[in-house]
Amino acid sequence: MRNPWTRTGNYKTSYAQDTTIFATYSEQASLAVFLIGMLVLPQFLSRGDMQILDLILIYALAVLGLNIITGYAGLINIGHAAFLGVGAYTAALVAPYLPFWAVLPVSGLVAAAAGAVVGIPALRIKHLYLAIATLAFQLIFEWAVGHSPALEQGGAMAMPRVVFLGYKVGFKNHHYFWYYVTFVVLVVMAFGFRNLLRTRFGRSLVAVRDNDRAADAMGMDPGRTKVFAFALGAFYAGVAGALYAYWSRAVVIEDYSLMISIKFLAMAIVGGLGTLVGSFFGPAFLELLDINMETFSYWIKTIYNPPGVDVGSAIRPLAFGLAIVLFLIFEPRGLANWWRLLRSYFRNWPFKY
Amino acid sequence: MSYFFQLLISGIVVGSVYALAALGFVLIYKASRVINFAHGHFIAIGAFTAYALAVGLGLSVWIAAAFALVFTAVVGYFTERVFLKPLVGQPIISVIMVTIGLASVFGGLIHLTPYGSGNFSLPGFLPEGGVSFAGISVSYPQLLAVVFTAVFLAAFGWFFQRSTVGIAMRAVADDQMASMSLGVSVEKVFALAWAAAGVTAAAAGLIVGAISGLNLEGLVGIGLKVFPVVILGGLDSIPGAVVGGIIIGLLENLAAGYLDAYIPGGGTGDVFPFLVLLLVLWFKPHGLFGTEEIERV
Repeated sequence: MRNPWTRTGNYKTSYAQDTTIFATYSEQASLAVFLIGMLVLPQFLSRGDMQILDLILIYALAVLGLNIITGYAGLINIGHAAFLGVGAYTAALVAPYLPFWAVLPVSGLVAAAAGAVVGIPALRIKHLYLAIATLAFQLIFEWAVGHSPALEQGGAMAMPRVVFLGYKVGFKNHHYFWYYVTFVVLVVMAFGFRNLLRTRFGRSLVAVRDNDRAADAMGMDPGRTKVFAFALGAFYAGVAGALYAYWSRAVVIEDYSLMISIKFLAMAIVGGLGTLVGSFFGPAFLELLDINMETFSYWIKTIYNPPGVDVGSAIRPLAFGLAIVLFLIFEPRGLANWWRLLRSYFRNWPFKY
Repeated sequence: MSYFFQLLISGIVVGSVYALAALGFVLIYKASRVINFAHGHFIAIGAFTAYALAVGLGLSVWIAAAFALVFTAVVGYFTERVFLKPLVGQPIISVIMVTIGLASVFGGLIHLTPYGSGNFSLPGFLPEGGVSFAGISVSYPQLLAVVFTAVFLAAFGWFFQRSTVGIAMRAVADDQMASMSLGVSVEKVFALAWAAAGVTAAAAGLIVGAISGLNLEGLVGIGLKVFPVVILGGLDSIPGAVVGGIIIGLLENLAAGYLDAYIPGGGTGDVFPFLVLLLVLWFKPHGLFGTEEIERV
């Protein structure tokens, strides 16, 4: 008997059935439950928790973009925070004149243009050389912002308050409002991310990643594919940057520095490179680790606190670095792999295999 | 004109620091194709070990320096053994990320000591003043820096040309399979390359200590400046590291000396090397002396 709720009772009779995202009804149902859960979640959280949750979602959006560039296309990008920065500074410049729902795509498009420019060297160079080129872009971006009087030389540029349908977003509901905005944007863009690999362009991304010479011989254009990958990933980053600017109420260069770029790469790796769930697990894991290490360092201070040592600024990078190194050595496929194992355990239920 | 020569001199001095730092970087890349993002932290470890021994324990600066060289070599050796060895054969991004993670770990460990923030200077062990010639003055520390670099490079040159270990390292860089079949232990060579890189990094840190103060951010920053140097010189070329180092040092100082006046906020020297880096990548990706890779499907 055919049972569309579980894998075991399900057999496929057409190619279309084989390529669907949701193999069973229970997968659709669990997604629906998860989305509804995310919608009601803010009712149970304090403002402080909401702030962290917002940050995780915004970073998840940025990591989705990085996963297109680095995960799908295999182009190592050490300048992703600069793309966020381009989006954020665009938002700061246009926000006084546009409603916020128009600011987000505009920021994304400007960042995509920047991404395409950064991607141009990919026509000629690859691997390590390209990684170093993106590193140079990151440093040049930071320097350029730091020397632009129009951008307050990297100092704080205030973001205006938002009015939405006559509803003024104030201090109390700030994090709640941006949670819902980020959530909607994230769902739409994650949908796009998930379906990207089913498109012609997505397929050529993976082909170029695995062997660009072979892809070239098969009639794809590796150079153009790489530039588009950079532009698309930077679009995600730009939207995330605009959201970050609104969320933090001001644009400061420190939020878009090399350290943050490294953080995004670490999030992508810890979550699982090129996976959708990993883009959520990675930011959540590293942000929660960071916050817990901050509390942990207060405890350390009661034992070890010599003069001239800032334990807080020591423990956090230490834990961050260890997380990256240990994941790479023991679980290079990241948290997404644990998720996959967990799911496959339940997939064949009630049979063992 | 004397302004120009003054910039030239300080450019060469800074350049010799870059050359030493880049030398270690290239050694690692040549042997094991790993890009080491933690190189700036090796420089810091070497410099602060020497400082701790010289100031904390009151040892002579020369003995402290020798200890620092050895200690950083040991750190390099075990870094390769413990963290890089499990990743042999993994994709480039894993290897890059593990060195980035290590940089973070080393940074955290240095922050656990009192040297994480603030400025430190090695006790003066050279006479004040310097040599003056036709209105251009060179201080003794600057002179020492250049001489020290030259001696160090000569020693490394000898090591690679004549010693058995050095020849084995070149053989591995050339062809891993062939050298393995001739009885060279590739694993050992990888670890030795990291140890040698530790020595050169510590040497660079010591020179920074001699010509200016020590400061964690500044030392780590040298680790980033190494990138323009090695790209200009060629990622896998030892002479390239030296020539690239001197050129980048000169360009940085000349840019800072002549362009800062026109840029609000100054600091041209910090960004100029990276502009050069992008130009080199665009027009001559394998640098001045790098080997061009030929790829096949």
